[in-house]
Amino acid sequence: MAKEKPSINTVNFTAAQLMEFDACTRCGECVKYCPTYDARDKSQDIEPRDKILRWRDYMTKSYGLKARLFGPEKIPPEEIKKFTDDLYNCTTCGMCGTVCPAGINTIELWESTRANLVKYGTGPYGKQSLFPKLIEEGHNPYMKQQKDRLAWMTPDIKIAEKSDIAYFIGCTAGYNQQVLGVSTARILNKLNVPFMALGEEEWCCGSALIRTGQQHINDTPKKAAIHNVEALKARGAKRVIFACAGCFRAAKIDWPRAYGKELPFEAIHMSQFLAEQLEAGKIKWEKSLDKTVTYHDPCHLGRHVGVFEEPRKVIKSMPGVKLVEMKRNRKEQRCCGAGGGVKAGIPDLAMGVAKGRVNDAKETGAQALISTCPFCRRNLLDGRDELKLDMSVDDLVVLTAHLMGLSTDVQPPAPGAPKESISDLFRTQTIPPKPPAEPKKEEPKAAPKTEAPKAQAPAKEAPKSSAAK
Amino acid sequence: MSTEGLTILGKTVFDTLFIDWRIMAITAIISIILFIVGMYIQLEKWGRGIPEGATKSYGAWGALKFIISKIFEKGIGHALEILILDVAFQRRTYRRRKLEWFMHILIFWGWIGLLILTIVAAAAEFAGPFLLNQDYTYFVGVWKSLELPNDIFGYMLVLGIVIAIARRLFSTGKDVQARNADIDWILIFGLLIVVITGFYAQILRGDVTRELIEAYPPTFFNNITVMFHEVFTLLFCVAYVPFSKYFHMITAPLTILVNHGGE
Repeated sequence: MAKEKPSINTVNFTAAQLMEFDACTRCGECVKYCPTYDARDKSQDIEPRDKILRWRDYMTKSYGLKARLFGPEKIPPEEIKKFTDDLYNCTTCGMCGTVCPAGINTIELWESTRANLVKYGTGPYGKQSLFPKLIEEGHNPYMKQQKDRLAWMTPDIKIAEKSDIAYFIGCTAGYNQQVLGVSTARILNKLNVPFMALGEEEWCCGSALIRTGQQHINDTPKKAAIHNVEALKARGAKRVIFACAGCFRAAKIDWPRAYGKELPFEAIHMSQFLAEQLEAGKIKWEKSLDKTVTYHDPCHLGRHVGVFEEPRKVIKSMPGVKLVEMKRNRKEQRCCGAGGGVKAGIPDLAMGVAKGRVNDAKETGAQALISTCPFCRRNLLDGRDELKLDMSVDDLVVLTAHLMGLSTDVQPPAPGAPKESISDLFRTQTIPPKPPAEPKKEEPKAAPKTEAPKAQAPAKEAPKSSAAK
Repeated sequence: MSTEGLTILGKTVFDTLFIDWRIMAITAIISIILFIVGMYIQLEKWGRGIPEGATKSYGAWGALKFIISKIFEKGIGHALEILILDVAFQRRTYRRRKLEWFMHILIFWGWIGLLILTIVAAAAEFAGPFLLNQDYTYFVGVWKSLELPNDIFGYMLVLGIVIAIARRLFSTGKDVQARNADIDWILIFGLLIVVITGFYAQILRGDVTRELIEAYPPTFFNNITVMFHEVFTLLFCVAYVPFSKYFHMITAPLTILVNHGGE
């Protein structure tokens, strides 16, 4: 009699990763720090440990001694689906790996497991399934036009055609948080640092696809990485500045893998660049803030890449700024909740985690919460609004621009522009209200088969702006 | 001066365990075979991985090669540093969980210490007659000198197990709330059986200086508790490892090494 086939497979895992599932000692250290576990009312299903133990159990049922002797044990498809959904209830922040006594590289483990389940057919989650098509066809996840990549440019900003320094703007700053784009550009202009930008040639960094386990679909992130690297190389870039932590992480870790060798340029985050300029005495502060601020380490900049001190160095040098630390900071910070495709796929979870982080900031008594990732900022703004707190949320680069005496104004926002397109701390513009929605036309009564409109399946909905990381 | 013992190739080997060596030999062989088979099954399972971009799996030996190459990716010096700080002294656990670190160190080093001393005693047993041309007094001397460290490692193990039991009885921490955490009791009680019967065997063997085997009471040889201790220890601490939670003694250090300390 033919033995039954295993219910799961082992594609997308390395031998070391399959070993990692067996290395979990069940100590539960990861559980103490997991932001999504906290936001999900401490549900055991969301524990990083529990996910590892469940997959280990599936592996044993499929490939263990008993399975070899008597055939694999069947795992019900609904159980695998439930596991998939739980796995996507994770921002891939990597806190679990940081505290794991066995040193399990959980970020890569979650990404590989997600990729496995996408191939299996149960992943990704909700709107995340739109990413491959959007990014493959439009080169950004926001359904925007390539020609609008530099739409935020104001006449005062000078961008060179060719330069050995490049600014990789990223989709979020380019289309939604344009205050970050103008602030970065104006700082570089003020410091007399000629720089170029790829503009229409810039493609999405691919982070959203990799984090959600969809990197293999048409090889889009690989193609995008190679395209961006070659385009930057062709324009003579020796140093590429990123003001988005997500893009920076992709460039530092994911692009070299896709490119197959070391990048032909140095990737540097804007906070590192500012710290360098500060050390060289080139930054002259012209204003004082007179506020107590706290700093949120973006996961992609901090834990994933290891940049912790440079942003703090810049903040501490600012006139009138008192930096207070949240209890959980640097390697042990709590995630903002937006990463790993959670903002797009599971917005209520993103909000729950964001509220946790904003409350961390509130505990310090800070008047402003500063980060250096547009995606963190967006989610923290949402968390702040939900909690109705009187606390500004802004970006380190925007704060720097303002205190250097530079305008942080963008082109007058169009009606219904994303609220984060302008600075929260130094708002001089107002976002005009969205035009009233047209009244819905009633369904003709002559269509008896039509029932009350069902809730649209998440996967079919169009993504709102600022949905990918 | 003469004593009885096991005769191998014309030499008398003083029988450390004072039990039928054939039982021990068979149990040891079975345990080692089961351990190797278990390890192979696990390696074969890991070797089924097909990373992104690859067209086929590694296989068991491919997995072993991959893991070894990852360990030494950053050089031998780096691997040694991780081995000492993160495996031998469990730095990552120390940073966050002092009590658990203490418990782990006691069990880990107690276990390793007893294993090393057992190997030393067995080596002395054979080295005396075969290499050094010494009679049984050589072995007795070595045996006596190992008593104190044997006691120390044994008590370390006992203390570690007591802490492990106490934590599971009185702690409400996350670590004791895992799914299927009850299985830990099998491991803890298994280890407790090893230690208790081990001390009993140690007490019985405390009087090994008598020269003639006839001088020992008949119950000294093939004592059922001692025999149970030896057989159970081999099966539980060797054969069972690849099939139990104890497997983390192998996988956790390997994972730390593969991930270069997890940093």
